[in-house]
Amino acid sequence: MSADVVLAARGLALVYGEGPRRVRAVAGLELEVRRGEFVGLVGPSGSGKSSLLFLLAGLRRPTAGHVELLGRPLAVAPDANADARRRHVGFVFQEPFLVPYLSVRENALVAAVDAAAGPRVEALAERVGVTALLDERPHRLSGGERQRAGLLRALVNDPDLILADEPTAFLDHPTGHAVMDVLRAQGRRSALVVVTHDPEMLAGADRVLHLRDGALEAAPALDVARRGGPRVSGPGSG
Amino acid sequence: MTAPGRELGALRFLLRNPRRVLPAVVVQALVTALVLAVVTPLTGFGATVEANLRPLTVYTAVTPMRRADFDDDLARVLDGNPALERRVEAKALWMRTPMVVGESFTMLVALRAAEHADFLARVGNRLVAGVLPAPGTDGAAVHADVARARGMKVGDAFGRLVDLEDPTPGRFTVTGIVDGPSRVGLIDFDYAALPTFVLSRIESFQVVYARPGRKAESDAYLNGAKDAEGRLAFRVWDEAFWRKRTAKLLENLPTILNAVVGSISVIVALVVVLLTLIAFQARSDEFALLLAVGITRRRLAGKVLVENLLCAGAALALGLGLGYGFLAWWDVAVLRPKAILIDFFAPYPLALASALPLVAAVASAAILTLRLRRMDPVAILQRRNA
Repeated sequence: MSADVVLAARGLALVYGEGPRRVRAVAGLELEVRRGEFVGLVGPSGSGKSSLLFLLAGLRRPTAGHVELLGRPLAVAPDANADARRRHVGFVFQEPFLVPYLSVRENALVAAVDAAAGPRVEALAERVGVTALLDERPHRLSGGERQRAGLLRALVNDPDLILADEPTAFLDHPTGHAVMDVLRAQGRRSALVVVTHDPEMLAGADRVLHLRDGALEAAPALDVARRGGPRVSGPGSG
Repeated sequence: MTAPGRELGALRFLLRNPRRVLPAVVVQALVTALVLAVVTPLTGFGATVEANLRPLTVYTAVTPMRRADFDDDLARVLDGNPALERRVEAKALWMRTPMVVGESFTMLVALRAAEHADFLARVGNRLVAGVLPAPGTDGAAVHADVARARGMKVGDAFGRLVDLEDPTPGRFTVTGIVDGPSRVGLIDFDYAALPTFVLSRIESFQVVYARPGRKAESDAYLNGAKDAEGRLAFRVWDEAFWRKRTAKLLENLPTILNAVVGSISVIVALVVVLLTLIAFQARSDEFALLLAVGITRRRLAGKVLVENLLCAGAALALGLGLGYGFLAWWDVAVLRPKAILIDFFAPYPLALASALPLVAAVASAAILTLRLRRMDPVAILQRRNA
């Protein structure tokens, strides 16, 4: 395995339910994402894209296989891998969850791993465009501002891996693009995996993968590909 | 620069979410106050017993064990007490005194007039109104607590000849009020020796004063003293005897109190747990998010425990403040006028009242920890996304 592989999935499988209600969400998935790589993940609604992302983040226990983060297997129990997640993974949720009684700054620092996170938040806030909102509570923010605040929290520990689940789903286009610009900029130093329905948001992606029947395949022609953005390729290629 | 993780401080949550926190704090505080206000007055039995026993720390009363009165033989035995300072011939009657529940009886010691002042000085009491009973009269100097409780003043009469319901035999007139730590009154010996009282089976007493610092020795002698026939000479009405007797009378009280307070505690704990669960439900997104960003369940459980303990501390402080405030008012407005004594800072009610919010906090934290352990943050986050 190359030294710059940040995320690797080895024979990863996830099965829901039992008997006739058994659903195979992910089936023996193999994937590698390298530092500086931007991977888009697409697929129809309910295809398990978000579940896959939670699996890759170590938040779900796989039915089989395992995830490697920075070359080390990620413990399957979420509590056991909590420290690794906190230090190395930034997760941008579709719904911008924020702790309601904490300010934007405090929300960003809630999972901070070192005391230098405070100054880092100031610099990041500038990039994300929430400097003026740092001391505001979430109920005073618009949807776009909340998503940016969520982004700030995801990036506060300068993560090696950024996983973003439909980060622009509830945003207007300009705001969505602004959020993606920040992610892409951070992604140059990290590995970035973005799940989205909006091909436009995958401009600049190195690979776009399609999740179908629990397996990844190279995405068919996407608008974004025509824009000269992502290179459409198989899951294992880099 | 701040240390990482301070944002999750329990105090920050509590101060910024008063609407969520206050209901549980107020419920616990009110029940803490209720327990304190209900249980503390019941310690009045103990406080009254102490006031009644106080004189017996100064003297010991003895009656003949097997004879109608003290004869020369018994007098010799009494005088053989090596710790004896002096002894005084006496009789004793009992005066009814209301309590929180039922009534107690306060001693009226019948002494010759020459002994009155010395007796009062020894038991720490003093005359605060009227005069001491004159020789041969029905005068009585009653204790201020009893006078207050029975609504008596100088000039009032009491006794069975005045009121058939009054258990004190004969008739007495209040000539004076005495006050002090020893709940005991005085009547005249010669009056108490009249045939009326003989028929009422009023026994002859000897009030025995021990030499300073030798009362225990004196009591031991009296309890073991034998008459000429080698049998126990005296029935000894000392402090130990009365303590044992009153302890037996009150032995079921803690059982009843524990049952009452235990029931209240269980109900309150359930209410607090319910309130906590409702609050937890409202915070499920917060906990799911924190778990998702790498905060461990153990840390969240610790946060919840500290939050609950801080709430319990606030409830305890508020509850004790309310409880003692109410007790102070009740004591002045209701209890003291009725001569009902309470042990204001009795440890038992204080411990019960204090345990309540702490138990509720620990129970809540335990249940929330279980809920946290079962929580699937992904399910919550995905449900919100959907």
